[in-house]
Amino acid sequence: MKLLSKIKYPLLKLIDISGFKVLDPPVRLMYGEEPEKQVRDILRYMLLPIVFVLACVVVWNVAGPKHKTKSGEVPTPSKVWTAAQDSTRFKNRENEKQAAFLVEGEVREQELARVKAELLKLEESAANLKAQSAEVTLKGQSEMDAKILPVKTRLDELKATLKLAKAARKEELVALADKVSQGSASGESLIALVEQDAAEYEKEKARLKSINDELDAIRDNPPAAVKKAQLDSNKIADEVQHYKKRIDYLTTGNRSMKVESAKEKELTAAAALKTSATGADALKQAKAVVSNRKKATSTLEQEYPRAATIYWQTWRSVATVFVGFVLAAAVAIPLGIMCGLNRIVMACLTPIISIFRPVSPVVWLLIFQIVIGAFFPDPDEHPLFRFMNHDNNPLAFLKTNPAMIFSACTVAMCALWPALVNTALGVSAIDKDHLNVAKVLRLGFWSRLFKIIIPSSLPLMFAGLRISLGVGWMVLIAAEALSSSDGLGKFVWDEYQNGSSQSFANIILACFVVGIIGFALDRFMIVLQRMVSFDDGSSTA
Amino acid sequence: MSFLEIDNVNVGFGPVGSRTEVLENINLSVKEKEFVAVIGFSGSGKSTLMNLLAGLQLPDQGEVRINGEVKSKPGPDRGIMFQNYSLLPWLSVFENIELAVKAVFPKMSKSELEEHIMRYIGMVKLTPARDKKPHELSGGMRQRVSLARTLSLKPEVLLLDEPLSALDALTRSELQDEILKIWDEDKRTVVMITNDVDEAVLMADRIIPLTMSPAATLSDDFVVNMPRPRDRHTLNDHPEFMRLKSEITSYMMGINQESKEGTKDKLVPMPKVTPKDFDPPSAAPKFSHLQEKSMSPTSGS
Repeated sequence: MKLLSKIKYPLLKLIDISGFKVLDPPVRLMYGEEPEKQVRDILRYMLLPIVFVLACVVVWNVAGPKHKTKSGEVPTPSKVWTAAQDSTRFKNRENEKQAAFLVEGEVREQELARVKAELLKLEESAANLKAQSAEVTLKGQSEMDAKILPVKTRLDELKATLKLAKAARKEELVALADKVSQGSASGESLIALVEQDAAEYEKEKARLKSINDELDAIRDNPPAAVKKAQLDSNKIADEVQHYKKRIDYLTTGNRSMKVESAKEKELTAAAALKTSATGADALKQAKAVVSNRKKATSTLEQEYPRAATIYWQTWRSVATVFVGFVLAAAVAIPLGIMCGLNRIVMACLTPIISIFRPVSPVVWLLIFQIVIGAFFPDPDEHPLFRFMNHDNNPLAFLKTNPAMIFSACTVAMCALWPALVNTALGVSAIDKDHLNVAKVLRLGFWSRLFKIIIPSSLPLMFAGLRISLGVGWMVLIAAEALSSSDGLGKFVWDEYQNGSSQSFANIILACFVVGIIGFALDRFMIVLQRMVSFDDGSSTA
Repeated sequence: MSFLEIDNVNVGFGPVGSRTEVLENINLSVKEKEFVAVIGFSGSGKSTLMNLLAGLQLPDQGEVRINGEVKSKPGPDRGIMFQNYSLLPWLSVFENIELAVKAVFPKMSKSELEEHIMRYIGMVKLTPARDKKPHELSGGMRQRVSLARTLSLKPEVLLLDEPLSALDALTRSELQDEILKIWDEDKRTVVMITNDVDEAVLMADRIIPLTMSPAATLSDDFVVNMPRPRDRHTLNDHPEFMRLKSEITSYMMGINQESKEGTKDKLVPMPKVTPKDFDPPSAAPKFSHLQEKSMSPTSGS
């Protein structure tokens, strides 16, 4: 209890610094401070917003499926949620397969036995499910047949009557035509009859179509139980498939197994070489020894060919934006300080800032692809990428490549300006009194810079950096989509291109991921900004 | 022998033809360990005078000397205390003073430094607030920090630029007493600028009025012949205090009146400008085409 009351104000301060002002009333309520006011605040600023957001979700849920597009209807929240779960399952499966690929020795055998046992159980339940689903399907089928039967009889009856009517009309036509040829009837009457016949035919077709549509509607909407049974059996079949793949990675596809088999082949070839009868045979065996030896060493370094998951793409985007942001800050802060200190520097840089600031990130990306691309003629051999992707580097999972560098540079170029302009403003707007202090103390240039100028401009500098990070994150997604640099942008682009049934839901999922990460980055910068702000709002000293 | 001297100083701005003098013909000499108050109305160039003494601004003519040495740059030998405290808001009380002391006494050891700083913080009674940031302090406390920082540099001359004018009356009198006490214990040359006659009479040895700007100058001084320590409670009954106060006040009011009358009677010559639009048609042949256009409807009716 004592501890609780002790942490009250630190807790409230933390809420204030992190910018989650909404949490203030519940915490105060917890401490019993003015309960009525807190409850009112909670109702107004917490509950109402929550209700509003829920209402938006409901509108989405209702309105989404009404809009049919080429890529299917707009996915509902539940479909997006399913997409998120599928993405997670996909990631977990990739992890399991990777582990299976890398595991060696006895552990591999144990693992293999375990997975096999699980697969057996799974197949058993799959068989059960299959039997059940067959039952359900049969039942559903008979239900559907019962529904279809009357419609079908109606259809058949109609077809029969129409056939008769058609034959009758044909006879009538032929008779009239004969009369026309004999001169006992006018040509106009025949034309009129032909027109009438065509109109009748159209009508019949429409009637047939409406009954056929009815049939299709029944067939396309099997009973819910059948649908569910189908989904379940698909799901379990998918799982079984995954287990089989894992077993594959634990046996023939396993890295250590591959190395061993290559070594074995090498030994057999070497033995065969000794007993080879002809020169041609000896040469063949010697070549086999060399190629298998090579294969064994190269397989030893082989990595699991991991498929790109949204988790990994997110990490890569965050890493790219971080690199770009650090680059931007490293250029913008010194330049901004120079601009703020010296009006000549400011005058020199102003035209450059004014002209390049409005340039679109797309243009920068293309320019960087050309200009920086020239530094990496052979990316695999470049020391930077060799270092970044080396097995021992903890960042190797990011698979750094030139496209990532281009995206990071584009981010840096676009994120540069807000930080630069704000730093220059912060430095040039320094309080004259503070500079007078520096003059009276006869501070040298560097101590004036580090003890007076930079601390005094930190709040504005960080405000600029915060804007920069926001801009950078927005630019990055576009840059990744365009440059095919792995990341959330590419994820969205790939989903748009492949157009499977779940693509649309995945795109919306990515939209939420981008938004949430952008929000988190902004919060982070707000906290930093508040920590370096010394004036606490209005008071200045 | 005077310690601090201002010799025939002029300060102004603007180009040669239409120059405005802020301070004209300033002469001041202060003896060592003397407390001088310069009193003037707002906007009469008091702060400019202080900047000159501190070396933050250079005179256009004349020179400022301390101990016979010409000063053209600011330095810690003249400790200045600004009206708006000038504390660095991101540093605590201790760190604010530390920054100054480290800059002026770079050779001080760590323990000496701490002891030195804490002595001055103690002198202004802020020991409990040593780790507070300026925004957590009241105006009076901030000015104490500023005072401690200025004193900790051990300046030969103490320049007080309206140090108390931003404070409320009670805090102000408290700080006046404290400054006097500190000065009494460790006498040094002080030049204080103020707009408060009571304050000047209470604190200073000599009071020098500054006339109204433009071209303000220092007039004859009033010597305060009152024994120290002066007690503010009995001061109002002191005949000398009353005499000085009324004399200085009426003198200052006189200056103000003069300057007002001066501006009232002064004729300001306006430049001879005739707006182009009002030019008679004959006098402005180059606008004749415009004239014709504007004239045509008139001639038509």
